[in-house]
Amino acid sequence: MAISEPSWGVHGKILDIDLASGRITERPLESDLVRDYIGGRGLGARLIYDLVNPSCDALSSDNIIVIAAAPLIGTSAPTAGRGHMVFKSALSGGLGSSNCGGTWAAAFKSTGYDALVVRGKAASPVLIDIRPERAEILPAGQVWGKDVHETTEELLADVSDGRSRVLCIGPAGENLVRFAAVMNDRNRAYGRGGAGAVWGSKNLKAIRVSGDKKIRIKDRARFESGREQSFYLLKQAPATKRLLRELGTAGLLELINLINMLPHRNFKDTRHRDEDVERVSGETLAKTLLERAAGCTLCPMACQRHTRVGDKTGEGPEYETLVMIGPDCDIYDLEAITRVNYLCNELGMDTISFGGTLACAMELFEVGLLTSGDTDGLELRFGRSEVLEEIARRVAFRQGIGDILAEGSYRLAESLGHPEFSMTIKKQEIPAYDPRASFTQALGYMTSPTGACHLKGGYAVSLAFFSGPKEIPRFSLLQSPVAIRNMHNLGIIQDSLGICRFTGYAFSTEPWARMMSGLTGADFSTARLEEIANRIAAVERLFNLAAGMTEADDWLPARFSQEPILVAGEERVVSEAASIKMRNDYYRARGWDEKGIPTPSLLDSLGLKMREFP
Amino acid sequence: MIRVKVKLFGPFRELFGRREMEIDLPAGLRTIDLLRKLSDSEEKRKHLFSAADTLHPHIVIMRNGMPAHGPGGLEGLIRDGDIIAVFPLMGGG
Repeated sequence: MAISEPSWGVHGKILDIDLASGRITERPLESDLVRDYIGGRGLGARLIYDLVNPSCDALSSDNIIVIAAAPLIGTSAPTAGRGHMVFKSALSGGLGSSNCGGTWAAAFKSTGYDALVVRGKAASPVLIDIRPERAEILPAGQVWGKDVHETTEELLADVSDGRSRVLCIGPAGENLVRFAAVMNDRNRAYGRGGAGAVWGSKNLKAIRVSGDKKIRIKDRARFESGREQSFYLLKQAPATKRLLRELGTAGLLELINLINMLPHRNFKDTRHRDEDVERVSGETLAKTLLERAAGCTLCPMACQRHTRVGDKTGEGPEYETLVMIGPDCDIYDLEAITRVNYLCNELGMDTISFGGTLACAMELFEVGLLTSGDTDGLELRFGRSEVLEEIARRVAFRQGIGDILAEGSYRLAESLGHPEFSMTIKKQEIPAYDPRASFTQALGYMTSPTGACHLKGGYAVSLAFFSGPKEIPRFSLLQSPVAIRNMHNLGIIQDSLGICRFTGYAFSTEPWARMMSGLTGADFSTARLEEIANRIAAVERLFNLAAGMTEADDWLPARFSQEPILVAGEERVVSEAASIKMRNDYYRARGWDEKGIPTPSLLDSLGLKMREFP
Repeated sequence: MIRVKVKLFGPFRELFGRREMEIDLPAGLRTIDLLRKLSDSEEKRKHLFSAADTLHPHIVIMRNGMPAHGPGGLEGLIRDGDIIAVFPLMGGG
């Protein structure tokens, strides 16, 4: 049933833009889509599954981008301002699904739309400008070639209404770097999966939004009871009350080192000198470079790091950036890492995949598979912080060695005949937790639908430390599969509600269930949210299967089964037998068969049909 | 006597005014006994223990790199050379 009038929590409208023909249409957001997928990641996954040919080239005009807001966005629910972008990934060739904080998504929803679909390729660079009752495709030749900061400033200067927000790509996206990001508020990134390259392939430079449309709340008392509960709990848990504000995500660094999980030299080992780790820790960052902490829309946690190095200011580094560009490249120079973080933001590039690709290139150089002849004389050895900015520029502009690094570490290592040097899953770089140090972590990465990801499978080791009575032992073959399914499901729910993962350090889904039920007047009990998560996981899987992925893609690089690291004094690998067992048990816990295909009875119970593809 | 190393993280560094310390103890003590011994002021006690005298749920204790909750964790006997880490439930990623 279509929603003809604005309904509770949503505007009931999807904006659909074809850049090839210039046609702009509006269509209703079917109410059953909200009921079954909520918004954000779930809504985006469903629309992409319905609209995109999974076997298309991700950088062709056949790819489609969906950006989805969510019902809670536009309310006063904590952190309710996270947008979600779904597309076919330029890196993995499967589902691309990326989440971002900042302020853009709330501004987008205030234009009166719940989601945006962008198809086709524009003949020349364009900007999409969206306001209530009016969307336009405008030429963007004047900002093409400019970096993220310049583009954002210029496009905001043109309107000066104080409430416009800009989402854009930098040179990395324009040059189709496979891990290019789409940037919001200058420094917040839809980072993973290469959304920026997909934008670049469509000649889409930016989307500017401004509006004042409000949404309606059906049962305010019920909504408020959930909202008050959530703020109360956020003020109780130390992580959400003060630690994220004081130390940022980098507060984790020394802890992850302590549990032998901090990657070193392209995941060769996890051995660091404590004093080196201290040089790049969250505490050192807070004492030296941090100017202020800040938060995204409606966020009381404020983990953003606004920093200064010399006369340059910017945002970052976050935990993942610090480790992947730092210790994983054997670099412990906080200022150098921060400077290249600023540069990656300006160029519009995912710092995790950039760091992982650079670490891979450094190892290839050290073993002689890359030589200084390939790198125009640049000594790409581990520990050389002086190459960071030069390499980042070469990648973003695809100059010299940068041209092949821009393809990501998998294609780089494979082109040299040695894909085993690429620390990727589904061709996406593994973030900053070594999977040998925890089975939950290993399985979380393997089964993430988008490939190795800090959000869709990362920090799973927390289950071993921070779950109190529900704690999962670090090396439990038996308990890991169900624990990871549950963790993935919580992530799916959070991403589909448009709220931040970090609320999970204070509470799970109960307050959200109350807020959603109050907002919409519909049943969004915790059990219902769980069912929705299972449906979204199945749709994401169906897309990947249709894109040609198999169970063989749910697999760790050989290094992690062959080369042990020392964890608490014992040698640890994730053996192939352990991986197979956990993977099969994860499939079973999901109601998928031994090949990872959702069974007909599961699809039936979720009201899903396998789509026919041409 | 046995000697253990205690490593402190996050707000516990400020509380104890140091990053790590070595402590000599009589043999036969449990991890929880060590934590009580460390809480030698009202302020420290309040930071580590609830009014009901149980360790706050947001505090994570590790013994030699493994979490020390659950069976045999906080109740387990400490041994010479153990490294005990004290840190808050930390978010990130």
